[in-house]
Order: sequence, then structure tokens, then C-alpha cells
Amino acid sequence: MTRRAFAPLVGIVVFVAVWEGFVRAFNVRPFILRAPSSAVNYLWKFRSDYLDAAWVTVQHSMLGLLFALLLAVAFGAVLASNRFLERAAQPILLLIQVVPWIAYVSSVVVWLGLGSAPALFMVTLVCLPAFVFASVDGMRSVEPATLELMSSVDASRLEVLTRVRLPSAAPLLFTTARFNVGLALAIAYYVEGANFSNEGIGNIGRSAAANNQADRLWASVFSIAVVGVVALLLLSLLERTVLHWHAAQRTENR
Amino acid sequence: MSNVALHGLNKSFGDLEVLDNVSLEIESGSFVSFIGPSGCGKTTLVRVVAGLEAASSGTVLVDGSPPAVARSHKRVGLVPQQPGLLPWRTVRANAHLLLDINRAANPPDAANPNTLLREVGLGDFMESYPHELSGGMQQRVALVRALSLHSPLLVMDEPFAALDEITRSEMRLLLNQLVEGRGVTVLFVTHNISEAVALSDRVIVCSPRPARVVADFNVDLPRPRARDIEDDSRFVELCAEARHALHGAMRP
Ligand SMILES: Nc1ncnc2c1ncn2[C@@H]1O[C@H](COP(=O)(O)OP(=O)(O)OP(=O)(O)O)[C@@H](O)[C@H]1O
Ligand SMILES: [Mg+2]
Repeated sequence: MTRRAFAPLVGIVVFVAVWEGFVRAFNVRPFILRAPSSAVNYLWKFRSDYLDAAWVTVQHSMLGLLFALLLAVAFGAVLASNRFLERAAQPILLLIQVVPWIAYVSSVVVWLGLGSAPALFMVTLVCLPAFVFASVDGMRSVEPATLELMSSVDASRLEVLTRVRLPSAAPLLFTTARFNVGLALAIAYYVEGANFSNEGIGNIGRSAAANNQADRLWASVFSIAVVGVVALLLLSLLERTVLHWHAAQRTENR
Repeated sequence: MSNVALHGLNKSFGDLEVLDNVSLEIESGSFVSFIGPSGCGKTTLVRVVAGLEAASSGTVLVDGSPPAVARSHKRVGLVPQQPGLLPWRTVRANAHLLLDINRAANPPDAANPNTLLREVGLGDFMESYPHELSGGMQQRVALVRALSLHSPLLVMDEPFAALDEITRSEMRLLLNQLVEGRGVTVLFVTHNISEAVALSDRVIVCSPRPARVVADFNVDLPRPRARDIEDDSRFVELCAEARHALHGAMRP
């Protein structure tokens, strides 16, 4: 475990050092790129503000992600067993996926107003399609022989869903979740900045950008990065525990 | 123990005729093997008996009731060609799978899968996962999974086809030990003539598709059947008889 953590750490240290050196050597204008040391200093000074803001952003992104996942499992269970509904749902899901959320997010903010509602709604909506596709594909990936075995003892649909289809879909859902984490953070950050709610890292970032406060902006970039990395780490920890049986999680395949 | 009766059974998939007027009476407690050319309809036949596929015409009765009734009472134990173990369940949990499903229909005298696992030599692997087992061990778990239902009818579709010859003959011996004295009726599909003779009380030879019964003979070898049964001259005779019937059926 310590060995495995070593290589990524080296990568991060080298990256930050190069960045710091680059900013100092070429004297980059502060607002364009800030030296990590100065952003980190600022972040440390206002750590309790950033901590409060990060907690709000964590809630917006992770709750939204969780809603999307739960909805996707429910939709997936229905769509995986009904080709007609699946075909009917496909264009809607694809539209949500391909239309850039940033194009219509302002309207949603106006519609849902202040507070967490627009952030949660947007995260849930935009993360939903990839989860639904993963859920449908995963649930369909069950061997026909396994389904036959289940029906040989008259298993109910619910039993097939919980005992076979859901566990089969889990690996794909985890992969999708990893991809969706970045999306969820981006949306939460943006919506927090857009709805003047005075909450969340996005809000700090937006007002810092508007007022040309480089340290304040880069400190918010740093803190959302930390949130993202911690979320990904926890996710892979969870994945390794839940999916220990899955080929991709076995150490001999790493 | 179940008795199975088929009367004038026909089955087609669209225009493809697969079963042609199959009629059979299968005595309860007997071990019956079906052999026939590939694609003739053996799997279809046993799936119809297990209530997994409806016949196009004709009747199937398992203990006097339609297969769907037997299925809903969990009176059919299925052993598929691939063991089909769930990779997220341990050996123990896989062996319990069929008991965990549709619990209301569990028989009061269900066997204890843990005891059965020990009986088939998997006592030390109860907490292992399927990927940690060999093919033969996986197939033994699949056997236990079906036997644990204590169902009076076992339907086995080429359960040993994916195994190597040595493991296969071990499994033959094991299966004989497990079913002898349990009084269970077994329908067993195989491509392997000596496997059919070594295991069965009765061997049924099917024609190329659409499957008809072309030969049906009793295997009068004594039980319990030991490992050296295959050296018996009567065993060799019966295999030859089955082979001739099979080759006769293949000729147009
Ligand atoms: N669900 C299905 N739909 C359409 N055709 C089918 C279906 N199941 C089986 N068949 C066809 O029925 C025929 C008999 O198939 P079946 O699997 O019963 O043969 P088999 O005797 O078990 O063959 P094998 O020895 O290779 O396992 C084949 O031609 C197959 O293509
Ligand atoms: Mg077959």
C-alpha cells in the first residue's frame, strides 16, 4: 500500500515544483497563473471559510451523484427488461448527454432560484444518462444460463434484480461514477457561482474572478482539486471493498 | 423421486422442427441419459421437462403435473453445462443460492449445503470465491447447489463437457455416489457414450434434428458402480450397442 502510494506522490511533488519554478522563472502575471505556494498560503489563512465552502460543494456534488445513481438503478431495472421503453428513453438521455449543460444552466438557476436546489438538480440531471446506460448494460450482461438457473426455481423479478442483475451492474456503475465525479464537481462549482447564493467553493471562485483576486481564485481551484482527489480516493477504496471479487480489482491483475 | 411422462411431444422454433413426437415414460428414481448428435434437440428436450421452455404440442407431466408446477415448488434441480457460479458469492453462498431464492417454496427437508460441500471434498474451500477454484471444483459446487434443494428431479445438461478427461471420470464417480441411495430421478444429457453407460440405468439415443427416440436400452450393470466398472465386459458391450445405435441414427 505504501509502495503504491509512493509513485503518485512523486508525480504530484514534481508537478507542483515545476509549476512553482515556471511561475517564478518567467514572472507570469499573477492572475493568469499563481505560484502554488502563494495560493496555498492564502488557502491556509482562510481555511475555515474554504472548509465551510468545501462542505457545501461536497454536498451538492455527492448528493447529486447519489440521486443520479439511485434514479439510474431504478430506470435501468425497468429499461433493461423493456426494449420499447429503452428505445423511447434513449433519445432523451442522449440529448441530456450531448447538449452542453452550460448552455441552459442559467435558465435552470432562474427557474429554481437560490440555495441548493439548482445545483442538486443540475448535477443529478447531467450525471444521470451515463449512469442509466451503465446500469442497463450491466444488468443485461448477466449470462443467460444464470437467468435460466434463477427461473428454474421460479425466482421473482425482484429477486433476479437484487441477487443477480444489480451485482452484475456494479463494476460498470463504479467506472461510470469515477467519470461522473469530475462532471459533478464542475457543475456544482459553476452553479454555486451562478446563483449568488454566497455558498460553496464555486461562489468564492466566481466573486474572486470578478474582483481580480488571484490568490482567492487559485485557493478555490486548489480546494476543489482536493475535494475531487479525496472523492476519487474514497470511491476507489469503496470499489476495492465492494468489488473485491471482480477481476479488475484483483491484485494479480494490477 | 419423480416420474416423468412425455406424450407426443413436438417443439419448433419458428419453422425449425426440433422435437418430433417424443414419447417416454421415465420411472421415478432412475438415471436416464440422452445421447444424440450435436444440435439434435437434447437441450431443448430437457428444458421442456424442466419447465423452462413450452412445448409446441403434446404433454409433459412431472409427477402428474405440468412442469411449471414442479418448478414453482422447486422440485427440479438444474445443473447447467457451465457451472454459472456468481463471482461475488463465496463457495458456501453459491451452494446456498437456490435455497435463498423463492424461499417460500423450500422443502422442509432441504439438505444442508455445507454438509454436501464437505461430502464432495470442498470443506476447505467454503469461503473461497469461484475464481479461486478449478473447473472441476466449480462444477462440484454447481452439483451441490442443485442437490441442496433435495429436489426429486435433477436435470443435468452436459455438466462435465468442459472438464478434462481425468476430472471427468472423477466427477462420474462422485455423481454415482451422490445419487445412488438418494432416490432421485436424473435426466442427463451427454455426448459421451461411456459417460452415459457408466452413470445410467437407461440410455436413450436421439436422431439428428428433429429429435426422435431411435434407441432406448437398459443398463443392467450392478450398483453401486465402482471406478473399475469401465473394465467390465458388459460395460464394453453396452457402449458398443449405444455407439451402433447412434451411428445407425446418423445415417440418412
Ligand atoms: N431459443 C431458441 N430459438 C431458436 N432456435 C433454437 C432455440 N434453442 C435451440 N434452438 C435450435 O434448436 C436446435 C436444437 O438445439 P438444442 O440446443 O436443443 O440441441 P442439442 O441437442 O442440445 O445440441 P448440443 O448437443 O450441441 O448441445 C438447434 O438447431 C438450435 O439452433
Ligand atoms: Mg445442448
